[in-house]
Amino acid sequence: MRRRARRGALAATALALSVSVAGCGIAPDPADAELSDEDVTLTMTWWGADARHQSTLDAIKLFEEEHPTIHVEPTYADWGGYWDRLATTAAAGDMPDVVQFDQLYLSSYAGRGALLDLDAVPEFLDASSLPDNVLASGEVDGSLYAVPIGVAGNGVVVNTSLFEKYDVPVPDTDTWTWEEFDAAAQAITEASGGKVRGLSPFGADSFSLEVFARQQGDQIFDDEGDVAIDPATVAAYWQRELDWIESGAAPDAASLSEKAGVPLDQGDTVVGNTAMAFIAAGQFTAIAAAAPDFEYEVADWPADADTPEGFQYPKPSMYWAASSQSEHPAEAALLIDFLVNDPQVARAFGTDRGIPASEAFQEALEPTLDEPAKKLLDFTKLVGERSGDAPPITPNGASEIETMLSRYNQQIQFGQLSPQEAAAGFIEELQSAVDAAG
Amino acid sequence: MSAIGELRTLRRDGRGGLTADQKQALAKERRRDSKAAAVFLAPWLLGLVGITIGPMVASLYLAFTDYNLLQDPNFTGLENIQRMLGDERLGKSLLATLTYVVVSVPIQLAVALGLALLLDRGIRGLALYRSVLYLPSLLGASVAIAVLWRLVFGREGLVNAFLGLFGIQGPAWVAEPDTALGTLIVLHVWTFGAPMVIFLAGLRQIPRQYYDAASTDGANKWQQLRKITLPLLSPIIFFNLVLGLIGSFQSFTQAFIVSNGSGGPADSTLFFSLYLYQEGFAGFRMGYASALAWLLLIIIGAFTALNFWASKYWVFYDD
Amino acid sequence: MTTETLATTEPTTQPGKRPLVVRQRRRRPRILAHVGLVLVAIVMLYPLLWMVTSSLRPNDEIFTSPGLLIDTFDLSHYPDGWNALSKPFGSYLLNSALVVLGSVVGNLVSCSMAAYAFARLQFRAKTVAFAAMLLTIMLPVHVLIIPQYVMFAQLGWINTYLPLIVPKLLATDAFFVFLMVQFVRGIPRELDEAARIDGAGHARIFLQVILPLMVPALATTTIFTFIWTWNDFFSQLIFVTDPDLYTVPVALRQFIDAQSQSDFGALFAMSVVSLIPVFLVFLFGQRFLLRGIATTGGK
Repeated sequence: MRRRARRGALAATALALSVSVAGCGIAPDPADAELSDEDVTLTMTWWGADARHQSTLDAIKLFEEEHPTIHVEPTYADWGGYWDRLATTAAAGDMPDVVQFDQLYLSSYAGRGALLDLDAVPEFLDASSLPDNVLASGEVDGSLYAVPIGVAGNGVVVNTSLFEKYDVPVPDTDTWTWEEFDAAAQAITEASGGKVRGLSPFGADSFSLEVFARQQGDQIFDDEGDVAIDPATVAAYWQRELDWIESGAAPDAASLSEKAGVPLDQGDTVVGNTAMAFIAAGQFTAIAAAAPDFEYEVADWPADADTPEGFQYPKPSMYWAASSQSEHPAEAALLIDFLVNDPQVARAFGTDRGIPASEAFQEALEPTLDEPAKKLLDFTKLVGERSGDAPPITPNGASEIETMLSRYNQQIQFGQLSPQEAAAGFIEELQSAVDAAG
Repeated sequence: MSAIGELRTLRRDGRGGLTADQKQALAKERRRDSKAAAVFLAPWLLGLVGITIGPMVASLYLAFTDYNLLQDPNFTGLENIQRMLGDERLGKSLLATLTYVVVSVPIQLAVALGLALLLDRGIRGLALYRSVLYLPSLLGASVAIAVLWRLVFGREGLVNAFLGLFGIQGPAWVAEPDTALGTLIVLHVWTFGAPMVIFLAGLRQIPRQYYDAASTDGANKWQQLRKITLPLLSPIIFFNLVLGLIGSFQSFTQAFIVSNGSGGPADSTLFFSLYLYQEGFAGFRMGYASALAWLLLIIIGAFTALNFWASKYWVFYDD
Repeated sequence: MTTETLATTEPTTQPGKRPLVVRQRRRRPRILAHVGLVLVAIVMLYPLLWMVTSSLRPNDEIFTSPGLLIDTFDLSHYPDGWNALSKPFGSYLLNSALVVLGSVVGNLVSCSMAAYAFARLQFRAKTVAFAAMLLTIMLPVHVLIIPQYVMFAQLGWINTYLPLIVPKLLATDAFFVFLMVQFVRGIPRELDEAARIDGAGHARIFLQVILPLMVPALATTTIFTFIWTWNDFFSQLIFVTDPDLYTVPVALRQFIDAQSQSDFGALFAMSVVSLIPVFLVFLFGQRFLLRGIATTGGK
């Protein structure tokens, strides 16, 4: 291997061992990290489609211009391939130095010692430009392991073109209650004769479940990383979805199942099958770009008079992290510092990685934004004002929460389980996955 | 001597029916053969020892650990096997996989064999047909298939449009737990190109004299098929059957693409390999995934062994 | 057996020489066969045609119409897709071609050798060796990939094509070994015996008797190795991380992203482009499927 020579024994029996050798390795103490006098090559990896690859390569170029002794070798893949490859390289002790991360896997990697403790390299990385409740989403067991890049609330995307087409007034989204929301959805379905449904329901993602739970004063995980949510909350979450399906406000089970997991550009929101949807707001610009014929707005969730304040929170859409095995922790930290603080990066990235979390970046971006991106920025600022503390992030072992949710959700949709049964099963399975990860 | 007669004699003798002379000759040749075998098998042996065995042994060891990809594996004895016994999703995935294998393999083979026989008759435009029939197999694993499959088997898809002509409102085939597995079986059967090509190649191995002789004897087409083609093609049928089973038991890509990696809706297309992949890579339980993999190996191995045993009764070798 | 009899039983290669009577007697079933085949062909062709038409449509029309009629003809996906990634698409085609070439040569040489040993030679532990060979393809790749990665990393092979090609040179693809074994066993023993009586050793029998007679199997191996390697995503993704070395299947994934906007038009356009070499190989390679004992006259 190029970067980390290991014992070269190839005997078959040694291989079983070598897996374990590679897995643990001896991590260098990050507190001793210092910049090298010689030329250094860093490896860096991210997921995405082509536009992101180009803009990230541009940012790397800027970094290399400022730090001529550091050379960055990029690699990238699509979302699915990315995690397979990352897991494989990490298992072999060959993880890239700087890694783009998602909250789903953050604890699973950090909790098992694969990530660099960024608090240990303060002289190279300063993340103080980010708000505290955002930064907290990058902490595992009290230490910062990943710096959030972009943030977004969970919003309701409203296709105003469809509302206009069917002559249904758009409710005042600043103050709307669940009752108004349901009525508007129902009105769309009726006005279009069922051709367009009022909304795409939630039911299969942890972000909307978290916001739903916070509206009930609940949360999915507690600070210890255990599953804390009340089964009744989960059941209510799914019951709400069933009600929408039953009333016709949402598409039926088969239609929803047909669209489950399709790429964004084939989803009901973009195609115009539904007039409203719950989304991680970071997707808003992509939705708008994919459907040039529609006008969209993004709004906060409906809330009733007794709904607790601060149910919203800015959730990082992705993070930068570094490998604990990195031979160049100082340079890796320096690169992350550059990526989160240099305004040139803000302009290079645009809103591709979501609205940046730091105010300085938001300001640097603002003049360059198009209409949908401006709406998203406004919404992100609104969420920032209304948000409460960040909830505990997905703990070690719970990385399958999304697939579990969508599995139970489909079993409910097709009548195989009641919301109550599914809630109990979901919580038990999730907790045992967390327990198994120790 | 007529081809059919010759065949009958050969089959009656079977493989063990060697004369004493032949046995002696065999013994003499044996040493020479062993030396030659060492040379001819050298690359394979090197590959087995150098490349294949290592990772296999590693995975066998990991099957008895709690390996989570990022930390040292700890030996946990039979814990993974215990977990299998109470694993509800494992049961579902076994059932889905078995259904898939048992239904799709024979149908695919029958279709492939039928078309190969049809194409082998020397029809005008043979090359064109053969290419066209093979095309889906080129596309089989493409991401485009996922999109297309929904367009064909979706609620508003082509299949339902066709059924609509007869006043039937079909379901959303890909999206309903009851029918999703069926669409994957159709997808598998539809990519019959590979076994078909192998059948075609096999048909070309059959010496034409047998047919000429049979015609002279007055055997009709059906008799020729039963007495010449099928027996002489049986090693190839056997090959396609065995490899078809091994391949379908491990089927992964198409379910992965069509269900977007979930095995959904509601685990109805959760193939064994897909479940194992989810456990290993999404759940970081690579130890358990390895145990599952070895369970799969045992299952496939048993099916294969059964096939080899049964092959004595219907596969005809000319050696 | 004479060349005349060959001609009458081999209508595809020399249709003109068939006696007129036979031709007329067979016409009716032929037409039926054609009708059947054309129907099947349409079903089989539909997806490909759909992909081609999709590559000629604006992005927003792709998912709304399963039909084959194009409202707005749009060729731009081809030049756009070709140039969309960090390198022109041609360089990924070239990378794939390299991997494929190495794999095809590797499989042809090593698998045919192993197959000869299994089919024609008597040696100790043959059954065990054969069973072991089959066992090696019964484990799913997902539990092998990490140990493989560790092993190849120790050899310094990551980010080269060696992990993709060397295993093929070492006959690790049991599918093809078994395939060839079945074909060799179909070749009458008398041919070997005749050569042996002439004093030929195993090397000569293999090269001069067996190999020429198993051309259909070799063609099959070439075609399948080409296609399967060309389409193989997982191992190429894992072992090759340098974007400059990416192969076609890995490059194609760069057009799609589940979370943001994907360029499906470009994806389909480049998928069509990447199918062309495979299709050409198939068209060319299948001619060799026609050879074999049948056409060489069994002698």
